[in-house]
Parts: sequence; C-alpha cells; structure tokens
Amino acid sequence: MDASGGAQRFAHEQWPYEPKFKRVNGWRMHYIDEGAGDPVVLLHGNPAWGFLYRKFVKPLTAAGRRVIVPDMIGFGLSEKPVREQAHTLDGHIANLTSLLQQLDIRGATMVCHDWGGPTGLGFALSNPDRVRTLVIMSTWAWPLPPAEFHKRIFPWRMMHAPVVGPYLLGRHNALAGRGMYLSVVDRKKFRAEAQSVYEGILPDLGSRLLTWTWPRWIPLDNSARGFARFEWLERELRKSKLPTLLVWGREDEVFDHKTFATRFKELLPHAEGPELVTGRHFLQEDSGEEIAGKINGFLDRIEGR
Amino acid sequence: MTTIHVIENPTLEGKRRAFVLAEDRVGHYPEFREFFVKRFSLDANALSRPGYVLAPSGMVYALVFIGRSGEPFPDGIEVYALPDALEPLNDPEIDADLWALLRWMIAGVGGAWRVEDLDATGRLYQLSVAAGA
Repeated sequence: MDASGGAQRFAHEQWPYEPKFKRVNGWRMHYIDEGAGDPVVLLHGNPAWGFLYRKFVKPLTAAGRRVIVPDMIGFGLSEKPVREQAHTLDGHIANLTSLLQQLDIRGATMVCHDWGGPTGLGFALSNPDRVRTLVIMSTWAWPLPPAEFHKRIFPWRMMHAPVVGPYLLGRHNALAGRGMYLSVVDRKKFRAEAQSVYEGILPDLGSRLLTWTWPRWIPLDNSARGFARFEWLERELRKSKLPTLLVWGREDEVFDHKTFATRFKELLPHAEGPELVTGRHFLQEDSGEEIAGKINGFLDRIEGR
Repeated sequence: MTTIHVIENPTLEGKRRAFVLAEDRVGHYPEFREFFVKRFSLDANALSRPGYVLAPSGMVYALVFIGRSGEPFPDGIEVYALPDALEPLNDPEIDADLWALLRWMIAGVGGAWRVEDLDATGRLYQLSVAAGA
C-alpha cells in the first residue's frame, strides 16, 4: 500500500465529513462544517490539516456546537500553490477571513494551534465582532524572542535552510512524516493511525512547499518578514478582553509551556489555564478527546450551562 | 569521487535539462546567497550562464540562478540534472548527488553552518543517504 492509498483509506475511516470548498483570494479552500450552534473554528498549523482535529468534531457537535475546520491554503485538501511567493502571513490571515466572512461566522470560538495561532488570532483581532472566545495551544503571537528550538541550527534551522529545505522537507517529506512522529508522545499509536495520513496528503514535492516556507516566517530577529505583523498581534492581543482558555502539552519541547503559556498568561491575565495535558507540540494527537472536553467545559461555563 | 566539483564548460550536446529541485529564497539566510555569488562569480556573470557542477555519480548539474525585481541576486536557484537527452533519471543517484551538493554547499557557507549538523539532521530524519555520514 503506498502512502497516498493508505492516507485515503485511513482518512476516510477517521474523517467521514462532507468536504466543502470556498474560493478565498482566488484559492480553493477546503473545510468541513458540522453540527449546529455557536461556531467553534479549529485551526491547524504546519504540516497538518483538519485531520488533526478528528477527535474534536464529535464531542463538540454532540454538545450542541457548530464545528468548522478549514485546511490552510497549501495543506490538506485545500489548493497547494507551487510558488513560495503565494504564501505570506497576511495572506493566510486574509484567506481565513475570506472563508469566515463568506460563512458569515459570528460569535466564534477560535481554537488556535501552531500557525493557526498567528492566523487565527490575526482574524480574531481584526474581526472582533465575529469572535466570542479564544482557545490557544502550543503557538506564539509576538515577534521576539523566538523559541530556543527555533534558534538552533540543529535540527530546526538546518532543516529549512536554503536548498536544504526543498530537499529534506520537499523530496523527503520530513516534516509530515518523521517530524510529526517526533512531536507526539505516543509514537506507536501515531504511526498506526495517523502518520500515513499526514504523509499521504502531501504526496509530491510540489505539494509540500508550505512545509519549508512557514518555518522561514518565524521571526528570529527584527529583519524578519513577519516582524511588524507579530508586533501588531502582541499589541492587540494585550488589549483583548475575550474569554480565553490556554491548553498546553506537558511534554511540548517546541513551545514549552513554562515559556510560551506563561507569556500568553502575561498578555491575557484573565485567561483560564494553562491546562496541561499529555502532549508534545501536536498535543491533539495524544489528548484530543480530553482537550475537546476542556473546550466544552470552558464554553459551558461562559454560557452558564 | 564523493564530492562536488565546479566545472566550466560541460558538453551539452545530446543532453537535456531535467528539473530536480528549486529554491525560491536562497537569501533566507544571506550567507547562502553569498556562497553562490562567490563560488560562481555571479557579480560578474549574473544571468549570463548557469553554474555547472560534477556530482559523485558522474552526472553534471546546471544551477540556474533566478533574479527577481527588488531582491538581491540571486533570489532563487533551480537545479537541473543533465542526463543523455532521452534517458530517464536514476532517482537514488540523483538523491545521493543532491545530498553531496548540500554537504558541499554547507561546507562552503561555513561559519555556524557545519556539515556535521547537516549529517545529524539527515540521520534524525532517517535519510538513507545520511546513514553512513
């Protein structure tokens, strides 16, 4: 069974949701839209897709909530541009904004992970009339300092260095395969039920461009392309009064909770948490149902249920 | 032969350019752009000709440098193998050649960039070409 065949079979079994599509800024964006009620928008990052939230959809919809899970342009079942210049942080925020405006989403809970953080928070802070609450997991929203992990040459900067990135992450799909495998706690389970799906959804070199483009958007100093947008994110987030829940993986070595959850708590002192769960960076893989339960509990408290 | 050699005038007759890899932002870390500028005299040669290298398999590769308005040159690089015109590529050989190209590049960039770290990264991600490095 090749990777793409395995991906199709496993994805169909674990992700039985009707695919929907919208044009956003000219690109074809895939999303699912399940259930009815106040919307919960689940946002993935690099190199994942909506499948990362497969254990969230049923508990959230069963609790009377509408669940929207977009695939970022460049990932999952969304269109995958083949030019690096198609990907900018502002462009990805605008892609998400286009989708949620077309769906006329209001009163949303934005669940933000990895690059779903800067993009989802970018949407939330520029569309406050459409957002009710935030859930923040293993991400960041300020220009500096970067995570220690992101400053190191081995393995992070080497992995996406010029020419190395297209080879290692492009020809060899290193981030969607081995990279995610190294970033979960229960690796045996991940390999059995998910790894081939993440690898198979990015079957060819040309489909993997964003896996080495996104790492290059993480600011390491004030010359970074996204620096001003991250400054804006931090500034606006500090003003936010949106009810917020912080959820972090205890074993997260990329955005370690002692540094990153603490920084979010400083920016958003009213936030609940951080609630720590079993998980490295891709904490949804290890604690999906538990996190979904925490989101339901958080929203129940806000709604006075 | 295990490394890369820059060559000046390869025989192109009867060959085709087979695209194998593209880098859209060679200056993401500026020292990488500087390496290619120096190694292929791009301040003088600019877009006049590709850079040619001979790889461990014996395959010659053309490095085509890409310019983009408003960006320092080169902004990107396309890597082409130059096989006999009607012959298919040997993928494992191409992969090993590209790995040799990366090791040569990292050694040339130097400074904080070390071949040992590239090899360790390759081993971490279980690349067969890095297994013996």
